Amino acid sequence: MTEIFLLGRRSVREILRFPEATIPVLFIPLFFLAVNIGQVSETFPSTTPFLEGQSYVAFQLPVSLLFAVATAISGLALVTEIDLGYFDKLLVAPIRRSSIIFGRLAADLVRGLGASTVVLLAGLAFGAHMESGVLGAIVLVILAALFGVAYAGFGVLVALRTRNVQATNTSFILFFPLLFLTPNFVPFDRLTPLMEALARANPVSYVIEGLRSLVIEGWVLDKLALCLLVIVAMGGVLTALSLRAIATYDR
Amino acid sequence: MGKLPGVDTAPVAVQARSLKRTFKGGIEAVRGIDLAVSEGEIFGFLGPNGAGKTTTVRMLCTLLPPTEGSATVAGVDVVADPAEVRRRIGVALQEIGLDPVQTGRELLELQCGLYGIRGAQARARTNELLELVGLTEAADRRTKTYSGGMKRRLDLASALVHSPVVLFLDEPTTGLDPASRLTVWDEMRRINGEGTTVFLTTQYLEEADKLCDRLAIIDAGEIVAEGTPERLKAEMGHDLVSVTLDGADAETTKTALGDLPGLERIVAEPDALDLYVDDGAALIAEIVRRLDRERIQVGGIAVARPSLDDVFLKATGRRLEGQEVEAE
Repeated sequence: MTEIFLLGRRSVREILRFPEATIPVLFIPLFFLAVNIGQVSETFPSTTPFLEGQSYVAFQLPVSLLFAVATAISGLALVTEIDLGYFDKLLVAPIRRSSIIFGRLAADLVRGLGASTVVLLAGLAFGAHMESGVLGAIVLVILAALFGVAYAGFGVLVALRTRNVQATNTSFILFFPLLFLTPNFVPFDRLTPLMEALARANPVSYVIEGLRSLVIEGWVLDKLALCLLVIVAMGGVLTALSLRAIATYDR
Repeated sequence: MGKLPGVDTAPVAVQARSLKRTFKGGIEAVRGIDLAVSEGEIFGFLGPNGAGKTTTVRMLCTLLPPTEGSATVAGVDVVADPAEVRRRIGVALQEIGLDPVQTGRELLELQCGLYGIRGAQARARTNELLELVGLTEAADRRTKTYSGGMKRRLDLASALVHSPVVLFLDEPTTGLDPASRLTVWDEMRRINGEGTTVFLTTQYLEEADKLCDRLAIIDAGEIVAEGTPERLKAEMGHDLVSVTLDGADAETTKTALGDLPGLERIVAEPDALDLYVDDGAALIAEIVRRLDRERIQVGGIAVARPSLDDVFLKATGRRLEGQEVEAE
């Protein structure tokens, strides 16, 4: 655990000293939030049944949260470290290789907590309110940050497998179908049959549903449980693959 | 640790037996080498780029598993117990492994932490090492602002936080200016003086000659010569007389000097002929007589003892710099 703490602290220091990597990532979700609300709020006034009396910003907020936390920053940091040779320095130290991965993911947790707090505050400023209260807001931020950690495993995996900056950078593109083949603009039952089928097969849909339930509905435990299950499963699989990649690195 | 087989009773710090590494596509980077490095010596691993030096070091440092063969470092098998090997070695690889976002002090304190040195002990060790490598003033600057020499010294310091038994240095002076190179040499001697075995890979002959107690020459994945620099040079058994042509015709000059007594061979270099002879000093007068007789005007004549480059040439047929020469 000490190794993870030491390497995590280093990665967090990197975030603070290199805000250029985080700030643009925040710009996109805030931009989408503002634009989507501007364009669609007339179409979906607060009287729209699925909004349950809230403005459309409440419906969009979870999507922006996922946009804010799902990044390839850790993967890029790792592949840069491989390029610079510092990664070898870590591999030759008497530490568990897994701590290199967990140190990076710890930084994703911190970054995710910060980024989702900023987006949540922006959403509240735009008129959303948390049906689940302050505790719900805290859970929302934590779940979003955990999703960021789970997703970061993908960038880390690509970095370890390809050792290529461009490949790691473009791994972010995968997030677009994952985010847009979901009930991101309207609920499941308002989608076309094909899109609904795709959305229902996409696990990220249930993360959005869970987060959205905290904003619009209050405490809906089955949605929250499913949301957490998807995050844990996705994180578990991607982290396991990353751990395997680092264990067999250079073989 | 084991003993060096059949040579003396010195304990062995690094031993490799039939060590081999083949990469994807069947590229044989290291072709079954045997090595034995005594405890406390500076051992040089000399060879041109692509000879297999770095691949060997990476296998010995547990960064790369051997395809075949075995190796022990500080008495521990690199495949059976890599974690224990890592605890006992320090490594400064060819690519300087520094995190550019951290300061020198932070990097060393983290390195201490990774080796189980924490708190006040880590801070004290960091200060001690910064002082040793002359980076106290720059300690709180981010490493990306360091010069090449400063980075190399910090990298060296980071390999020393835990006082390793064996220190691997992979081309530690490549790309450094002469002053920084001398600083790194001094540091290597000081570290070795404290009892650390140093395994040094280099492509610089002067570095191998000046620093190493013993060395092995590797070429195309195979060890082609091994011994102390003095013994390797002595085994050459000849002097080198270098005739600078300075416009004189190489073939005519070669013909004039071709049957000198004690001449082993002539090697044509750009604008010079290298004559490998038994006794250079004794032949100077005869060389001058013959050139005079044939009315050949040369730029100069110099006599030198064999160098490691000659050893390399004899072993591989090439100069270390990779320059192909025609040996006759």
